[in-house]
Amino acid sequence: MDMLITIAVIVVKITCIYGGMIVIAALTTLAERKVSAWIQFRHGPNRVGPWGILQPLADGVKFIFKEELVPDSANKWMFRMAPALSAMPAMMGVAVIPFAAESPLYKDSGPLAIADLDIGVLYVLAFSGLSIYGIILGGWASNSKFSLLGAIRASAQMVSYELAMILSIMAIVVMSGSFNMTEIASLQAGPLWNWNIFSQPVAFMLFLIATFAETNRHPFDFAECEPELVGGFHTEYSSMRFALFFLGEYCAIFVMCCMTVVFFLGGFEVPFWEDAPWFIQVGAMVSKVVAFLFLFIWVRWTIPRFRFDQLMGLGWKVFLPVALVNLLITGGLVSAGIL
Amino acid sequence: MASLLFYALSAIAVLCALGVVISRNPMQSVLNLLGSFVAVAAIYLLAGFQFLAAAQILVYAGAIMVLFIFVVMLLNLTDREESQSVWMGLFNGRILGSLAVFAGLTVSGLIAANGNFAPVDTISHDGNLDNMTLLAEVLFSKYMLPFEAASLLLLATLVGVMLLAKRERNGERHGAQLSSQDGGSEA
Repeated sequence: MDMLITIAVIVVKITCIYGGMIVIAALTTLAERKVSAWIQFRHGPNRVGPWGILQPLADGVKFIFKEELVPDSANKWMFRMAPALSAMPAMMGVAVIPFAAESPLYKDSGPLAIADLDIGVLYVLAFSGLSIYGIILGGWASNSKFSLLGAIRASAQMVSYELAMILSIMAIVVMSGSFNMTEIASLQAGPLWNWNIFSQPVAFMLFLIATFAETNRHPFDFAECEPELVGGFHTEYSSMRFALFFLGEYCAIFVMCCMTVVFFLGGFEVPFWEDAPWFIQVGAMVSKVVAFLFLFIWVRWTIPRFRFDQLMGLGWKVFLPVALVNLLITGGLVSAGIL
Repeated sequence: MASLLFYALSAIAVLCALGVVISRNPMQSVLNLLGSFVAVAAIYLLAGFQFLAAAQILVYAGAIMVLFIFVVMLLNLTDREESQSVWMGLFNGRILGSLAVFAGLTVSGLIAANGNFAPVDTISHDGNLDNMTLLAEVLFSKYMLPFEAASLLLLATLVGVMLLAKRERNGERHGAQLSSQDGGSEA
């Protein structure tokens, strides 16, 4: 009986969290078009459903019915596998994100996360590192110069910024003394100034900018830079395979926003209110994440694109040394007992 | 259940390792290697070593394999089958290489099955195999010297590669050709 309840709790958690992520990712595509429209003094999609709310659904149906093209010269097997390889790791990262300190489903079932791993930080970093394979393979297998250039740019950029990202998180890990996401979030309970953003502003800035580079978002979206590369790594993709790349990108953005919130903005903790009920905590977590999703869209439609060599120079010559020095200082302060 | 999973994962790891040496397309070899790494990480996870599994994915699958793919893509290696017959391939070490991999895996499997390969001095871990604090303490006190030696080795490799790359840029193409051929047969 206990076994059955445990399995049921896990199934419910997986359904709710994954379902929620897919719904938020779909709504983010709508928000992207709406916000871009507002920024450019347009209306944006407003025909499908009230206020255009059903637009993602209409897009999905349209993608399913589009013709699927596979280029003659492409490596067929890898070409078909690449979108799945891109979307899967992006979606798997959400498994360790805690949404509340206590799960409401069953007594003592731990925090509201699919898996409350002791190595949660490493898990989510490992999967964000794997999500690059879909892009590389898709670009390479398409056998087109635009795709290949996009893929090479994406991989170079993600490898460089992954380093700065991991080093900036390590400062948080050193402060918290744990790789467990729930523990890192719980340590930021209490008053507002307990949030890590106030004790680690440098790490926060580095991490935030690195997430833009990791998810290939503006102003670092060289993998699909339209004026130079047509569509970048997904130039040759059409129909549902293209939609899968798209979905993977938005899921990756969602997971990155969750990580930012957990590491620097207290995760599910509500300021000045410890031990809030679970639905308040879920609400706090989701609203913080939505704020960061808005930031991603806002930046995309406001800031112009960098140049690729500027991006690599920034990553290696500025971010990496600053992150290292930040880690060194944090380590020194922690071992001296100040932080 | 656990042993069934273990055998399935081991089979995947071995098959992928064989695929690395057998496949004719370098990109396919690299992908097979990736599959092998992931399967080995899953075996670590099955044995209760969460940290080791995460490090395996993070370092090998996430960073090193990306560089491998980079090299393969940039060198633009194509299928090498039209230039050689199967027999030439055998002498080129494809089959010999796979046999060597297979023999190595068999030997390590036999050692693991017999179970008498305990490390010289096991750390006391009071049941918790995955204590990262303990791992860090041991790594930075007892095994400080080997740890530092390994990082020194990596640094030496880095400097050596820089030196080779610099010499190539100065007009000596010899080293570059050699390394590209090596990359072709090993990838």
